[in-house]
This record gives sequence, C-alpha cells and structure tokens, in this order.
Amino acid sequence: MLNFEEELKKFKPSLEIEDAEDIIYNRDLDDMSDVIVGLLKDAKSEADNNKRSR
Amino acid sequence: MATSIYKKLVSLSNVFYNEGLEKASVRDLTGAMESLHQSLKLDKNNINARNLLGLIYYETGEVVAALSEWVISKNLKPDDNIADEYMDMVRNSPSKLEDINQTIKKFNIALNYCHQDSLDLAVIQLKKVLSLNAGFIKAHLLLALLYLKAGNWDRAKVEAKKVLKLDTGNTLARRYLKEADSMLLPGESGKLVSDIASSENDEVIRYNSGNEMIIQPLKKSALTRTGSIWGIVLGIALGVAASFFLILPQRIETITADNKDKIARISEESDNKSAKIVELEQKMASMDKNMQELQGQVDSYEGVDSTSASMNSLMKAVDCYENDSSDIEGIAAALENVDLEVIKDSVSPEFLALYDTLMSKVGPQLATSYYNTGYDAYKAKKFDEAIANLSKAYQYDNTNVNTLYYLANSYSENGDLEKAKEKYDAVVTEFPNTKTAAAAETKLAEINNSGN
Repeated sequence: MLNFEEELKKFKPSLEIEDAEDIIYNRDLDDMSDVIVGLLKDAKSEADNNKRSR
Repeated sequence: MATSIYKKLVSLSNVFYNEGLEKASVRDLTGAMESLHQSLKLDKNNINARNLLGLIYYETGEVVAALSEWVISKNLKPDDNIADEYMDMVRNSPSKLEDINQTIKKFNIALNYCHQDSLDLAVIQLKKVLSLNAGFIKAHLLLALLYLKAGNWDRAKVEAKKVLKLDTGNTLARRYLKEADSMLLPGESGKLVSDIASSENDEVIRYNSGNEMIIQPLKKSALTRTGSIWGIVLGIALGVAASFFLILPQRIETITADNKDKIARISEESDNKSAKIVELEQKMASMDKNMQELQGQVDSYEGVDSTSASMNSLMKAVDCYENDSSDIEGIAAALENVDLEVIKDSVSPEFLALYDTLMSKVGPQLATSYYNTGYDAYKAKKFDEAIANLSKAYQYDNTNVNTLYYLANSYSENGDLEKAKEKYDAVVTEFPNTKTAAAAETKLAEINNSGN
C-alpha cells in the first residue's frame, strides 16, 4: 500500500520560464575534473604549509 | 598524469552518453537521463550529452529544464551547436511556448491543491494540463497517484500505462501500475476492467455510469434458471388477473354505458316511430272514412248512367217511343239507368224538357208497369226487388200514394228503418189527411217506439 504523503513529496514543482534565468545562473556546473583540480589544489596548499612549518 | 585522468574522465563521460543515447532510443527516458547526468558529472563539456539531456527534458514536458541545458550548452560551445536549432524551434513558436508555460503553471497549481488536500480540484487541473500537453509525464504520474488515493485503480492503471508508453523505464509508473494491479481484480492481475468487460463473461452485469463502467457480479438464485419459465407464467397469470380485476370491469362498465345509450336512443326512435304509426293510422282511418264516403257516393251512382249516357238512354227511349208508343217495356229498358234526381244538376234544360215531354206521354204507363211489378214483389216478400220497382214507379209518377207507402213498407220490412221513416214522412207530408197518411203515422210511431 502506497503512502500518499510520502509519494507526494517526490513531486517537485516544475520549473517555470520566468525562473529560467536564475536557474541557469545558479546552476552548479562542476564536474569530476573540477573536483579533481580542487583536490589537487588543496593537496598542493597543504604540502606548502607543511614545508613552511618545518 | 592529470592529462590522462582528464582523458579517462572524458572517455567515461562518453560511455555514459552512449548508454544514455541507447536508452533514449528505446524510450527509456528515465534511464537515459540518469546516464546523461552521470556523463555530465564526469565531463560538463560533453555537449552531445547536454543537448540530448535537454531533448529528453523537452520530451517529458520539462521545457524550462531543457532550455537551461541548451543555453548552457550554447555558452560552453557557441559555434556549431545543435542546441541553437532546438532553441530556435521553441522561440519561433511563441504561442506554443506560452501554452507550455501555462501547462507548467497549471501543474504547479495542481500540486499545490494536492498539498492543500483539494484532490478533486487537483484532478481537474491535471486533466486540463494533459489536454494541453499529453506528453507531460509528471502530470500523468501525479494523476495516477491521485486516482490511487481515490481508489480509482482502473484509471490509475491507465495513467501509469500512458507514462510507461512515453517512458518505458519510469520506475514510479511501474510502482503505481503494480499497486493498481494488486488492488484491482485480485487473481486477474494485468487485466483492465475494460478488458474484462469486453470479454465474453455472462457472470457479470455491465453498465456505464457517467464515464465509468460498472461491472456487477450477477446474482443467481437457485430459481434463476429453472424459475425463469415459472416467472413468465406467473407474470402472464398476474397480467390476466390484473386485466380481469382492473381492466375488465372498467371495460364492461364502458360497454354497458354504451349499450344504455344505444337502448335509450333506440327507445326514443321507437317512440317517434310509434307516434308516426299512430298518426299514419289516424290518417289511414280518415282516408278509409273518406274512401267509404266516396264508395257510398260511387255506390249511389252505381246503375245510374252518367250525363252523356243518360242523354243516349233518353234518345234511345224517345226513338223507341217514336217507333212504337205502346212499347212500354222497351222505353222502360232504355230509361232503366236514368235517374233524374242524380243528373238533374249537370244536364241541359233541353234534356230536362225532352225528358218531361216523354214522361208526360209514357210516365203513367211506366209507373203503372213498375208499380205492378213492385207490388207483386212486395207481396212475395221480395223486398229488394220491390224497392227497386216501386222506386222507379214513384220516379215516373209521384202522385200515387200507394207507391210511396209500399216503398216505405218495403224499406221497413227490409230493415232499412231510416229510409222507411223518410218515406213514411213523405207520405204524411205529401198526402196529408189520407188514410194512408194515418197508417204511415202509425208506422212511424211504431218505428220510433221500437227505436227507443
């Protein structure tokens, strides 16, 4: 037996055309390469910090 | 190393793109979207994956999401990008874009109604949405959920099937379909009510109530089959009884009233006819009376010649006298049927003069001849003959009192008392102070006394 309330929560309002601009601007476009670049940057900065502390 | 990782990511992104493309080609839109999302997570610059994702969004009715993918795609690759064509397609038909926007707004309103527990209104809104855009998968799914909530398993199943036709991999639709199947017709899972309705099954009663088909199990009692004939017989019996007790008396009353009217009419006609008959009978009696009177007149004329015949008879008598003045019998025979009393009004004076002349010549002889014959008949009690001869004798000679007296006696003896009284009276009047007159008075007195 389905739980109507739970099922209803799965439905989100559709995006309206007036909101398209905001949606596009606020869209998180990061992909795996961005994540890896970020990780590498973090790793590099951490290494630099360790060298200075020594 | 970084380059090789990047190449691997791009390669992996393409793998997901291919997978998404393959799923999209078999209308597994949900699966395709998942693959394309994976592809774009690995490589946001995979333009084909982004454009395809936009197309899939557009197909499912998420136009704004589609447009945003295409816009990003265009920004990432401004030149030689098919997203341009897709966006131009949407831009070049503003009315369609407006319709799409209205569809989306109505869907959002319907969703709000659901949250406000106004499920009937939500159903109405969703039906409007789907009439504008039949490919709006989310609307179909929400409508299916509302039908499930309302217990309209059949309709929920129809909506879920529509979704699966648009998107074969839609797991939500499959769940709703399974739910509807489990609730609908246990033991006949997978069959629509309409399928059952269309199948040859005499064990159910089907009828439409609005847009819904009602399938009701047929109630059968032990008497249903065998009792049907008895039911018909009972129905006929009740019909006959009803007609006998309800219709027949009314019918009889009507017929009786009609017959009474007819009888009254016939009676009235009969009365009229009876009255006419009485009237006619009276007329007939009157006519009979007239006829008798006329017959009497005719009888009085019987043996008497008409005027012309009398003239001929007179001429014959004159001729007979000229030939032989002593031929009294021949003259009498010629004048046999001439009665001057009857024809004197219609004959000419010349006729009367000739008749008087002849009478002056042969009248007394004729009278004597008739008197003798009549008297003999009187003596012989032949009163009819006596009356005839004595009447003639008195016609030719009215001075003989005896002729008139015996004529009166003959009438009296013959039973004609009126005539007898008339003749006795004539004797008394015309021959007064005679013995015969005295005798006539005595006879008159006797007749009068006997009459009293």
